[in-house]
Amino acid sequence: MTTRRKFVVTRFDPDKDEVPKTQEYEIECQDDWKVLDAINFIKDEVDSTISHRWSCRMAVCGSCGMMVDGEPKLTCKTALDSYGDTVEIEPLANFPVVKDLVVELEGFMGKFQQVKPWIMNAKEEAEKKAASTMKEGTYRQSAEELMAFKQFSMCINCMLCYSACPVVSNEPDFLGPAAIALGHRYNMDTRDGGQDERNQIFREEGTVFSCSYANECSEVCPKGVDPAAAVNQAKFNAVIDWATGLVVSRPAPQGDE
Amino acid sequence: MPATKAAHPEAMAPAVNGPTRTAPPMQPSSWKTSPRMKQYSRFGLTGWIYLLASFAAIYIVYGLGSGPEAYAQVQALLANPLVIAFHLLCLISVGFVLVRFFGLFPKAQPARIGPAKPPPQPVLKAMLYGLWAGATLVLSVILAGGIF
Repeated sequence: MTTRRKFVVTRFDPDKDEVPKTQEYEIECQDDWKVLDAINFIKDEVDSTISHRWSCRMAVCGSCGMMVDGEPKLTCKTALDSYGDTVEIEPLANFPVVKDLVVELEGFMGKFQQVKPWIMNAKEEAEKKAASTMKEGTYRQSAEELMAFKQFSMCINCMLCYSACPVVSNEPDFLGPAAIALGHRYNMDTRDGGQDERNQIFREEGTVFSCSYANECSEVCPKGVDPAAAVNQAKFNAVIDWATGLVVSRPAPQGDE
Repeated sequence: MPATKAAHPEAMAPAVNGPTRTAPPMQPSSWKTSPRMKQYSRFGLTGWIYLLASFAAIYIVYGLGSGPEAYAQVQALLANPLVIAFHLLCLISVGFVLVRFFGLFPKAQPARIGPAKPPPQPVLKAMLYGLWAGATLVLSVILAGGIF
Protein backbone atom coordinates (compact mmCIF):
# COMPACT_ATOMS: atom_id res chain seq x y z
CA MET A 1 0.00 0.00 0.00
CA THR A 2 1.20 3.51 -0.79
CA THR A 3 -0.03 7.00 0.12
CA ARG A 4 0.70 10.20 -1.78
CA ARG A 5 2.23 12.80 0.51
CA LYS A 6 3.58 16.31 0.10
CA PHE A 7 6.90 17.15 1.76
CA VAL A 8 7.73 20.78 2.43
CA VAL A 9 11.50 20.75 2.76
CA THR A 10 13.65 23.66 3.91
CA ARG A 11 16.37 24.45 1.40
CA PHE A 12 19.41 26.68 1.88
CA ASP A 13 22.37 27.02 -0.42
CA PRO A 14 25.02 29.22 1.21
CA ASP A 15 26.37 30.16 -2.24
CA LYS A 16 23.04 31.38 -3.59
CA ASP A 17 20.47 31.98 -0.85
CA GLU A 18 20.35 34.87 1.58
CA VAL A 19 17.86 33.05 3.80
CA PRO A 20 16.42 29.52 3.81
CA LYS A 21 13.38 28.85 1.61
CA THR A 22 11.08 25.86 1.17
CA GLN A 23 10.58 23.47 -1.69
CA GLU A 24 7.68 21.05 -2.10
CA TYR A 25 7.88 17.46 -3.29
CA GLU A 26 4.97 15.08 -3.82
CA ILE A 27 5.80 11.40 -3.78
CA GLU A 28 4.14 8.04 -3.32
CA CYS A 29 5.18 6.72 0.11
CA GLN A 30 4.97 3.15 1.25
CA ASP A 31 2.94 2.86 4.42
CA ASP A 32 5.76 1.27 6.41
CA TRP A 33 8.27 4.01 5.59
CA LYS A 34 10.08 6.07 8.18
CA VAL A 35 10.50 9.79 7.50
CA LEU A 36 14.12 9.17 6.50
CA ASP A 37 13.00 6.70 3.81
CA ALA A 38 10.94 9.45 2.19
CA ILE A 39 13.81 11.95 2.32
CA ASN A 40 16.16 9.37 0.83
CA PHE A 41 13.60 8.62 -1.91
CA ILE A 42 13.39 12.33 -2.77
CA LYS A 43 17.20 12.55 -2.81
CA ASP A 44 17.59 9.41 -4.96
CA GLU A 45 14.66 9.74 -7.35
CA VAL A 46 13.42 13.34 -7.43
CA ASP A 47 16.04 15.92 -6.49
CA SER A 48 19.64 14.89 -5.93
CA THR A 49 20.63 18.41 -4.80
CA ILE A 50 19.10 17.99 -1.34
CA SER A 51 21.66 17.66 1.45
CA HIS A 52 20.92 15.73 4.64
CA ARG A 53 22.84 13.56 7.09
CA TRP A 54 22.12 9.91 7.82
CA SER A 55 24.06 6.74 8.36
CA CYS A 56 22.89 3.70 10.32
CA ARG A 57 19.07 3.77 9.82
CA MET A 58 18.64 2.02 13.19
CA ALA A 59 18.64 4.87 15.75
CA VAL A 60 22.21 4.26 16.81
CA CYS A 61 24.40 6.81 15.01
CA GLY A 62 22.32 9.92 15.82
CA SER A 63 22.98 11.53 12.41
CA CYS A 64 19.49 11.96 10.98
CA GLY A 65 17.94 14.35 13.51
CA MET A 66 15.64 16.88 11.82
CA MET A 67 12.53 18.91 12.60
CA VAL A 68 9.45 17.00 11.46
CA ASP A 69 6.31 19.15 11.60
CA GLY A 70 8.16 21.47 13.96
CA GLU A 71 9.36 18.83 16.45
CA PRO A 72 12.90 17.44 16.68
CA LYS A 73 12.85 13.80 15.60
CA LEU A 74 15.28 11.07 14.71
CA THR A 75 13.93 10.54 11.20
CA CYS A 76 15.03 6.90 10.91
CA LYS A 77 12.91 6.07 13.96
CA THR A 78 9.88 8.21 13.12
CA ALA A 79 7.08 6.42 11.28
CA LEU A 80 5.61 8.40 8.42
CA ASP A 81 2.10 7.12 8.99
CA SER A 82 1.83 9.18 12.19
CA TYR A 83 1.80 12.36 10.06
CA GLY A 84 -0.77 13.89 7.73
CA ASP A 85 -0.71 14.30 3.95
CA THR A 86 1.70 17.24 4.23
CA VAL A 87 4.91 16.86 6.22
CA GLU A 88 7.27 19.76 6.94
CA ILE A 89 10.95 18.87 7.16
CA GLU A 90 13.39 21.46 8.53
CA PRO A 91 16.97 21.37 9.81
CA LEU A 92 17.35 21.03 13.58
CA ALA A 93 16.19 24.18 15.35
CA ASN A 94 18.61 26.24 17.48
CA PHE A 95 21.55 25.32 15.20
CA PRO A 96 23.16 27.36 12.42
CA VAL A 97 22.36 25.76 9.05
CA VAL A 98 25.22 24.78 6.74
CA LYS A 99 23.11 23.56 3.82
CA ASP A 100 19.48 22.43 3.44
CA LEU A 101 18.94 19.98 6.33
CA VAL A 102 22.57 19.90 7.50
CA VAL A 103 23.45 21.86 10.64
CA GLU A 104 26.74 23.13 12.05
CA LEU A 105 28.15 20.66 14.63
CA GLU A 106 31.26 22.47 15.86
CA GLY A 107 29.47 24.42 18.60
CA PHE A 108 27.97 21.19 19.92
CA MET A 109 31.30 19.37 19.96
CA GLY A 110 32.93 22.30 21.77
CA LYS A 111 30.40 22.08 24.58
CA PHE A 112 31.18 18.41 25.13
CA GLN A 113 34.87 19.10 25.68
CA GLN A 114 34.08 21.61 28.41
CA VAL A 115 32.66 18.96 30.78
CA LYS A 116 35.76 16.71 30.48
CA PRO A 117 33.83 13.58 29.47
CA TRP A 118 36.47 11.03 30.36
CA ILE A 119 37.59 9.14 33.47
CA MET A 120 39.92 11.36 35.48
CA ASN A 121 42.41 10.38 38.19
CA ALA A 122 41.35 6.73 37.86
CA LYS A 123 44.60 5.38 39.28
CA GLU A 124 44.29 7.32 42.52
CA GLU A 125 40.67 6.28 42.89
CA ALA A 126 41.57 2.61 42.33
CA GLU A 127 44.37 2.77 44.90
CA LYS A 128 42.07 4.45 47.41
CA LYS A 129 39.42 1.78 46.92
CA ALA A 130 41.96 -1.07 47.02
CA ALA A 131 43.36 0.33 50.26
CA SER A 132 39.93 0.61 51.82
CA THR A 133 38.78 -2.87 50.82
CA MET A 134 42.19 -4.58 51.23
CA LYS A 135 41.88 -6.03 47.73
CA GLU A 136 44.20 -5.81 44.79
CA GLY A 137 43.72 -6.27 41.09
CA THR A 138 40.94 -5.22 38.75
CA TYR A 139 38.92 -2.21 39.77
CA ARG A 140 35.45 -3.60 40.25
CA GLN A 141 32.13 -1.84 39.88
CA SER A 142 28.93 -3.34 41.22
CA ALA A 143 25.74 -3.63 39.16
CA GLU A 144 24.12 -1.07 41.44
CA GLU A 145 26.96 1.39 40.87
CA LEU A 146 26.66 0.88 37.12
CA MET A 147 22.90 1.38 37.13
CA ALA A 148 23.34 4.76 38.83
CA PHE A 149 24.71 6.24 35.58
CA LYS A 150 24.01 3.70 32.85
CA GLN A 151 21.04 5.50 31.31
CA PHE A 152 23.15 8.63 30.81
CA SER A 153 25.63 6.53 28.80
CA MET A 154 22.94 5.69 26.24
CA CYS A 155 23.09 9.14 24.60
CA ILE A 156 23.85 8.95 20.86
CA ASN A 157 24.63 12.67 20.45
CA CYS A 158 21.73 13.22 18.06
CA MET A 159 21.33 16.82 19.32
CA LEU A 160 17.53 16.65 19.49
CA CYS A 161 17.68 17.80 23.12
CA TYR A 162 19.55 20.97 22.08
CA SER A 163 16.96 21.58 19.41
CA ALA A 164 14.11 21.31 21.91
CA CYS A 165 15.68 23.34 24.74
CA PRO A 166 14.35 26.89 25.27
CA VAL A 167 17.50 27.85 27.19
CA VAL A 168 19.82 26.77 24.35
CA SER A 169 17.70 28.96 22.09
CA ASN A 170 18.29 32.07 24.20
CA GLU A 171 21.60 31.57 26.04
CA PRO A 172 24.46 30.76 23.66
CA ASP A 173 26.84 29.96 26.54
CA PHE A 174 24.59 27.29 28.05
CA LEU A 175 26.38 23.94 28.04
CA GLY A 176 23.14 22.19 27.17
CA PRO A 177 21.44 18.93 28.12
CA ALA A 178 23.61 16.27 26.45
CA ALA A 179 26.94 17.74 27.57
CA ILE A 180 25.81 18.17 31.17
CA ALA A 181 24.27 14.67 31.19
CA LEU A 182 27.58 13.27 29.98
CA GLY A 183 29.53 15.18 32.63
CA HIS A 184 27.09 13.94 35.25
CA ARG A 185 27.50 10.40 33.92
CA TYR A 186 31.25 10.57 34.68
CA ASN A 187 30.61 12.19 38.06
CA MET A 188 28.41 9.20 38.93
CA ASP A 189 31.01 6.68 37.77
CA THR A 190 32.73 5.15 40.80
CA ARG A 191 35.98 4.74 38.82
CA ASP A 192 36.19 8.49 38.25
CA GLY A 193 37.98 10.94 40.49
CA GLY A 194 37.13 14.17 38.68
CA GLN A 195 33.95 15.13 40.52
CA ASP A 196 35.50 18.16 42.22
CA GLU A 197 36.70 19.53 38.91
CA ARG A 198 33.43 18.93 37.09
CA ASN A 199 31.31 20.26 39.96
CA GLN A 200 33.44 23.39 39.81
CA ILE A 201 32.56 23.66 36.09
CA PHE A 202 28.90 23.02 36.87
CA ARG A 203 28.83 25.92 39.32
CA GLU A 204 30.03 28.36 36.67
CA GLU A 205 27.71 30.63 34.68
CA GLY A 206 25.91 29.03 31.74
CA THR A 207 25.88 25.53 33.15
CA VAL A 208 23.45 23.57 35.28
CA PHE A 209 21.84 26.56 37.00
CA SER A 210 20.84 28.10 33.66
CA CYS A 211 18.45 25.17 33.16
CA SER A 212 14.85 26.18 33.82
CA TYR A 213 13.66 22.55 33.87
CA ALA A 214 11.34 22.80 30.89
CA ASN A 215 11.92 19.04 30.58
CA GLU A 216 11.68 19.23 26.77
CA CYS A 217 15.08 17.52 26.35
CA SER A 218 13.79 14.40 28.07
CA GLU A 219 10.52 14.49 26.14
CA VAL A 220 12.23 14.44 22.73
CA CYS A 221 15.10 12.06 23.52
CA PRO A 222 14.80 9.08 21.14
CA LYS A 223 16.87 6.80 23.39
CA GLY A 224 14.98 7.23 26.64
CA VAL A 225 17.84 9.08 28.30
CA ASP A 226 16.59 11.63 30.80
CA PRO A 227 18.91 14.64 30.36
CA ALA A 228 16.64 16.88 32.46
CA ALA A 229 17.06 14.50 35.39
CA ALA A 230 20.85 14.52 34.88
CA VAL A 231 21.02 18.32 34.78
CA ASN A 232 18.94 18.69 37.92
CA GLN A 233 20.77 15.92 39.78
CA ALA A 234 23.96 17.74 38.81
CA LYS A 235 22.51 20.91 40.39
CA PHE A 236 22.01 19.07 43.69
CA ASN A 237 25.48 17.53 43.52
CA ALA A 238 27.12 20.87 42.69
CA VAL A 239 25.44 22.51 45.70
CA ILE A 240 26.29 19.61 48.04
CA ASP A 241 29.88 19.67 46.76
CA TRP A 242 30.08 23.44 47.38
CA ALA A 243 28.63 23.10 50.89
CA THR A 244 30.99 20.22 51.71
CA GLY A 245 33.90 22.31 50.47
CA LEU A 246 33.08 24.96 53.08
CA VAL A 247 33.82 22.56 55.94
CA VAL A 248 36.23 20.01 54.42
CA SER A 249 39.47 21.09 52.79
CA ARG A 250 40.29 19.35 49.52
CA PRO A 251 43.54 18.98 47.59
CA ALA A 252 43.71 21.09 44.44
CA PRO A 253 42.83 19.22 41.22
CA GLN A 254 45.94 17.53 39.78
CA GLY A 255 44.88 17.59 36.13
CA ASP A 256 43.68 14.86 33.83
CA GLU A 257 45.03 11.36 33.44
CA MET B 1 7.76 27.88 5.59
CA PRO B 2 6.14 27.66 9.05
CA ALA B 3 6.19 30.82 11.13
CA THR B 4 9.26 30.51 13.32
CA LYS B 5 11.05 32.94 15.57
CA ALA B 6 14.78 33.40 15.30
CA ALA B 7 16.85 31.86 18.08
CA HIS B 8 19.76 33.83 19.56
CA PRO B 9 22.08 34.46 16.57
CA GLU B 10 24.99 32.89 18.47
CA ALA B 11 23.04 29.78 19.58
CA MET B 12 25.16 26.65 19.06
CA ALA B 13 27.65 28.69 17.02
CA PRO B 14 31.20 27.31 16.71
CA ALA B 15 34.00 29.07 18.60
CA VAL B 16 35.60 29.90 15.25
CA ASN B 17 33.46 30.35 12.16
CA GLY B 18 34.06 27.81 9.40
CA PRO B 19 34.62 28.66 5.73
CA THR B 20 30.93 28.18 4.86
CA ARG B 21 28.37 30.91 5.46
CA THR B 22 25.57 29.53 7.63
CA ALA B 23 21.89 30.44 7.98
CA PRO B 24 20.97 31.72 11.45
CA PRO B 25 19.41 29.30 13.98
CA MET B 26 15.62 29.29 14.34
CA GLN B 27 13.41 28.23 17.22
CA PRO B 28 11.15 25.20 16.75
CA SER B 29 7.87 26.21 15.10
CA SER B 30 6.00 23.77 17.38
CA TRP B 31 6.63 25.86 20.49
CA LYS B 32 3.60 28.07 19.82
CA THR B 33 1.22 25.10 19.66
CA SER B 34 2.86 22.38 21.75
CA PRO B 35 0.79 21.60 24.89
CA ARG B 36 4.00 20.91 26.84
CA MET B 37 5.46 24.32 25.97
CA LYS B 38 2.15 26.01 26.76
CA GLN B 39 2.33 24.42 30.23
CA TYR B 40 5.92 25.62 30.58
CA SER B 41 4.92 29.16 29.55
CA ARG B 42 2.03 29.17 32.03
CA PHE B 43 4.47 28.00 34.71
CA GLY B 44 6.68 31.00 33.91
CA LEU B 45 3.71 33.39 33.79
CA THR B 46 2.70 32.50 37.36
CA GLY B 47 5.80 34.48 38.42
CA TRP B 48 3.89 37.71 37.62
CA ILE B 49 1.03 36.60 39.87
CA TYR B 50 3.45 35.97 42.75
CA LEU B 51 5.03 39.37 42.16
CA LEU B 52 1.61 41.04 42.49
CA ALA B 53 0.83 38.88 45.54
CA SER B 54 4.09 39.98 47.15
CA PHE B 55 3.06 43.65 46.71
CA ALA B 56 -0.25 42.79 48.40
CA ALA B 57 1.63 41.08 51.25
CA ILE B 58 3.84 44.15 51.75
CA TYR B 59 0.71 46.33 51.82
CA ILE B 60 -0.89 44.07 54.47
CA VAL B 61 2.25 44.08 56.64
CA TYR B 62 2.43 47.88 56.29
CA GLY B 63 -1.23 48.09 57.37
CA LEU B 64 -0.55 45.87 60.38
CA GLY B 65 2.19 48.20 61.56
CA SER B 66 0.21 51.41 61.01
CA GLY B 67 -2.47 51.12 63.66
CA PRO B 68 -6.02 49.69 63.94
CA GLU B 69 -7.55 52.09 61.40
CA ALA B 70 -5.06 51.22 58.68
CA TYR B 71 -5.54 47.53 59.40
CA ALA B 72 -9.32 47.92 59.17
CA GLN B 73 -8.78 49.47 55.73
CA VAL B 74 -6.65 46.48 54.73
CA GLN B 75 -9.37 44.10 55.90
CA ALA B 76 -11.96 46.02 53.90
CA LEU B 77 -9.77 45.78 50.82
CA LEU B 78 -9.30 42.04 51.32
CA ALA B 79 -13.10 41.64 51.30
CA ASN B 80 -13.31 43.26 47.87
CA PRO B 81 -14.56 40.70 45.28
CA LEU B 82 -11.74 41.60 42.90
CA VAL B 83 -9.14 40.92 45.58
CA ILE B 84 -10.85 37.64 46.48
CA ALA B 85 -10.78 36.69 42.78
CA PHE B 86 -7.07 37.56 42.66
CA HIS B 87 -6.43 35.36 45.69
CA LEU B 88 -8.31 32.52 44.02
CA LEU B 89 -6.06 33.01 40.99
CA CYS B 90 -3.03 32.84 43.32
CA LEU B 91 -4.35 29.60 44.82
CA ILE B 92 -4.84 28.05 41.37
CA SER B 93 -1.34 29.19 40.34
CA VAL B 94 0.25 27.70 43.44
CA GLY B 95 -1.62 24.43 42.89
CA PHE B 96 -0.51 24.33 39.25
CA VAL B 97 3.14 25.00 40.14
CA LEU B 98 3.10 22.45 42.96
CA VAL B 99 1.68 19.72 40.73
CA ARG B 100 4.35 20.45 38.11
CA PHE B 101 7.06 20.62 40.78
CA PHE B 102 5.95 17.36 42.41
CA GLY B 103 6.01 15.69 39.00
CA LEU B 104 9.56 16.80 38.20
CA PHE B 105 11.20 16.89 41.64
CA PRO B 106 11.59 13.14 42.33
CA LYS B 107 13.75 12.41 39.30
CA ALA B 108 15.99 15.38 40.08
CA GLN B 109 17.20 13.70 43.28
CA PRO B 110 20.81 12.51 43.22
CA ALA B 111 21.25 8.71 43.38
CA ARG B 112 22.76 9.10 46.85
CA ILE B 113 23.95 11.81 49.22
CA GLY B 114 26.82 10.28 51.16
CA PRO B 115 25.48 7.01 52.53
CA ALA B 116 21.83 8.12 52.24
CA LYS B 117 19.70 7.10 49.27
CA PRO B 118 16.41 8.79 48.40
CA PRO B 119 13.27 6.60 48.47
CA PRO B 120 11.87 5.28 45.16
CA GLN B 121 10.31 8.01 43.00
CA PRO B 122 6.63 7.00 43.50
CA VAL B 123 7.19 6.94 47.27
CA LEU B 124 8.87 10.34 47.14
CA LYS B 125 6.00 11.74 45.08
CA ALA B 126 3.46 10.30 47.53
CA MET B 127 5.44 11.87 50.40
CA LEU B 128 5.33 15.28 48.70
CA TYR B 129 1.56 15.11 48.20
CA GLY B 130 1.18 13.86 51.76
CA LEU B 131 3.23 16.79 53.04
CA TRP B 132 1.08 19.18 51.00
CA ALA B 133 -2.14 17.68 52.35
CA GLY B 134 -0.74 17.76 55.91
CA ALA B 135 0.39 21.37 55.64
CA THR B 136 -3.00 22.40 54.19
CA LEU B 137 -4.78 20.64 57.04
CA VAL B 138 -2.62 22.25 59.72
CA LEU B 139 -3.05 25.71 58.17
CA SER B 140 -6.81 25.19 57.89
CA VAL B 141 -7.01 24.26 61.58
CA ILE B 142 -4.95 27.29 62.58
CA LEU B 143 -7.03 29.63 60.42
CA ALA B 144 -10.29 28.11 61.66
CA GLY B 145 -9.14 28.58 65.23
CA GLY B 146 -8.19 32.18 64.48
CA ILE B 147 -11.46 32.98 62.78
CA PHE B 148 -13.94 31.25 65.09
